[in-house]
Amino acid sequence: MSERSELDEHLGPKPSDLPLGVVVGGSLSTGLTVKIHPAFTVEKLAVGRYVVIRGRQTDRTFFGIITDIGLDATDADLARRPPMPDEDFSAEVLSGEIAYGTMHVSPMLMLDEDQDQPRPVKTIPGHFSAVFEASAKDVDRVFGTEDKTHFYVGTPLDMESVQVNLDLARFIERSAGVFGKSGTGKSFITRTVLAGIIRSGLASTLIFDMHNDYGWSVLDESGREYKGLRQLFPGGHVSVITLDEETSRARGSKVDGVLRVGYEQIQPEDVEMLGSFMGLSGVMIDALYYLSYKLGSKWISILLGDENEETTLQDLVDEGRILGATLSAIRRRFEFFRRMGFLVPGKGDDAVDEIFHRLNMGTSVVLEFGTYGNTMAAYVLVANYLTRRIHERYVRQKNLAAGGQGDEPRPLVIVIEEAHKFLDPQIAGHTIFGTIARELRKYSVTLLIVDQRPSGIDDEVMSQIGTRMTCLLDNEADIRAVFSGVSGAGALREVLARLDTQQQALIMGHAVPMPVVVRTRDYDTSLYASIGLAEGEELKKRAKKGSKTLYGD
Amino acid sequence: MSEKAVLIARVTRCSTRSFVGASRLPEADVPTFGSFCKARAQRGQSEVIGLIYDIRIEDDEMARQIAIAADPSQEQLADNRVSRLIPIEISCLAVGYSSQDGYAYALPPQPPMTLDDVFALSRDEVMAFTQSMDFVPLVFSAPGLPADELLAACLRYSAEVRPQSEQRAFLVEAGRVCARQLAGDVARLDRLVRNLAP
Ligand SMILES: Nc1ncnc2c1ncn2[C@@H]1O[C@H](COP(=O)(O)OP(=O)(O)OP(=O)(O)O)[C@@H](O)[C@H]1O
Ligand SMILES: [Mg+2]
Repeated sequence: MSERSELDEHLGPKPSDLPLGVVVGGSLSTGLTVKIHPAFTVEKLAVGRYVVIRGRQTDRTFFGIITDIGLDATDADLARRPPMPDEDFSAEVLSGEIAYGTMHVSPMLMLDEDQDQPRPVKTIPGHFSAVFEASAKDVDRVFGTEDKTHFYVGTPLDMESVQVNLDLARFIERSAGVFGKSGTGKSFITRTVLAGIIRSGLASTLIFDMHNDYGWSVLDESGREYKGLRQLFPGGHVSVITLDEETSRARGSKVDGVLRVGYEQIQPEDVEMLGSFMGLSGVMIDALYYLSYKLGSKWISILLGDENEETTLQDLVDEGRILGATLSAIRRRFEFFRRMGFLVPGKGDDAVDEIFHRLNMGTSVVLEFGTYGNTMAAYVLVANYLTRRIHERYVRQKNLAAGGQGDEPRPLVIVIEEAHKFLDPQIAGHTIFGTIARELRKYSVTLLIVDQRPSGIDDEVMSQIGTRMTCLLDNEADIRAVFSGVSGAGALREVLARLDTQQQALIMGHAVPMPVVVRTRDYDTSLYASIGLAEGEELKKRAKKGSKTLYGD
Repeated sequence: MSEKAVLIARVTRCSTRSFVGASRLPEADVPTFGSFCKARAQRGQSEVIGLIYDIRIEDDEMARQIAIAADPSQEQLADNRVSRLIPIEISCLAVGYSSQDGYAYALPPQPPMTLDDVFALSRDEVMAFTQSMDFVPLVFSAPGLPADELLAACLRYSAEVRPQSEQRAFLVEAGRVCARQLAGDVARLDRLVRNLAP
């Protein structure tokens, strides 16, 4: 025999050759119960890890994820007469054999001997099938390799050598969500994924950047600096358009444009969304439609008292068209518009066309809110205003393309934060974001919603979310919400509630072959490099090489 | 084999499940309750491995009379113990057999023959035989034996023949094998495991 096998014999089987345990029960819908082998201790397992189950009667291999870990005993009496703390020997004998560990495994994928692509499970392994810890090779096979449309976003827990690659084409095909408590890393994951999407060229992105997280550099708590998308793609694939030029300049952002919305461009539909933020009652909102119809395009300036049209307004009251009290209440609330520096009297610019044009050319747009990000109403107003109009153009373009009179528009991913403010059950039915989430990719527009309170989002919208990347959540309702419409993933709740507080996420859905808990990829120079950005030394080297070839010296 | 095989008895009665050997006075340390022995079977093709579960000395009229005598002399006692032929009966449970292929942990195909020699198993043989614990179920399933005490004695003895450093691990493993058999009776298991504890 060879040297190797002698050595193997001497050392005993390698850890991964020994089964963790055997399947003793369960079902496809509720998952499998596995009795853990006495040689293993539950103390070394972790929920969220992968296991491989070799079918006992076939050559089929199943992949599963550990969703719960427990203790059991063959005899209920044991709990009444356990070994005392000093009875080490008894404890050692009993544990593993009649007092043993169990784990709950959700089967996810299966792989037949003659296939190389795993498929979703349709059955389960038989009784006493052996369960093994998945090796890096097993997991690697599931998540495939990184390429132009598969982007590396993190590594499975305890498997630093394995890359989890998001299938970006599938990711943008349906709306997606990033969830998690505050400070868990939502913005970092989102920025990472966006970098992947932009590099792949599969879609343009329109980012409503509430907290100035995406465009230019961001500092973390410890003062470390991270590059924004505009810096990662200096070649023009990303434009930053700001609402607050002063703040953007102060932050040192490179700005490609300033958004100005003219009062005359605002329609009652845009204001309606702000009802709850501005304290507009149902009656007032109805009145808005009437007022804009009556007063024409200058309706906002008139209501703000800038147009010398007091008599016109008084007439409406006198004719009984509107209550004086309602009118004054609306006018008081409209004072809000004056405080929004990006709103200007008059017709404003053609910002929408400009942005649509950029998006359609393949340039992603970061809309930086500056200090206006602290005003929810400003965020909701602008996001709605632009999205409604851009969506309209997409619909038009798509219809033209369908009629053979134009090109297909370039797919678009719209990123919104605090998404529950746009998608709560009361308004999701009639807002543009609810519409986009529901119509799927019919018009090549999908959402990437970032939210810390998914329970506030309409159920129907949630169930349309194709890919969910969820960081730690501890509120029961939020946890329930991220699993809504995901079949058989209920067992993953345990996994979710036990994520680390930062940089860990459960990814499930459309863009991954099976749910996976990852430590998200570090957002650092190696990521910059992987999307093609050369820095410092590297850049100098390249410059030198460039000049050599240019001047032949 | 390094040690010389110690003859402890000759077979007087036997079945495939057990055999009884008789001998004169026992040596100081063999045989003992819970130790292993072996006897030829199948005309020497195999050896039955026995586990000693009972050692018995029958009384007779003479012994009874000496016992109740007012003051028996030392000579009388010694004479009775050494010179008289009172058989000592050693009962053994068949727990396996050896053949060319090594040990099998099952009842032997045939029992030993009457008056075959019964030898104690050497330390090396004990170690080899107890490499596997598959004989334990045979002990539990034998009717009418003090199985728990017998196993405790046998397993402790089997541990002692091993190097110091391996003894504990051996006993833990042995305990687990017993636990598997007694999974439904925690009270009994508890006693047995305490008896095994090093
Ligand atoms: N992939 C990562 N690489 C490096 N640091 C990270 C990563 N993910 C998270 N962090 C760290 O975690 C901190 C919080 O992350 P982030 O700002 O993305 O949280 P958040 O969920 O968006 O919070 P909030 O809800 O307040 O917006 C970051 O400042 C950074 O220090
Ligand atoms: Mg954030």
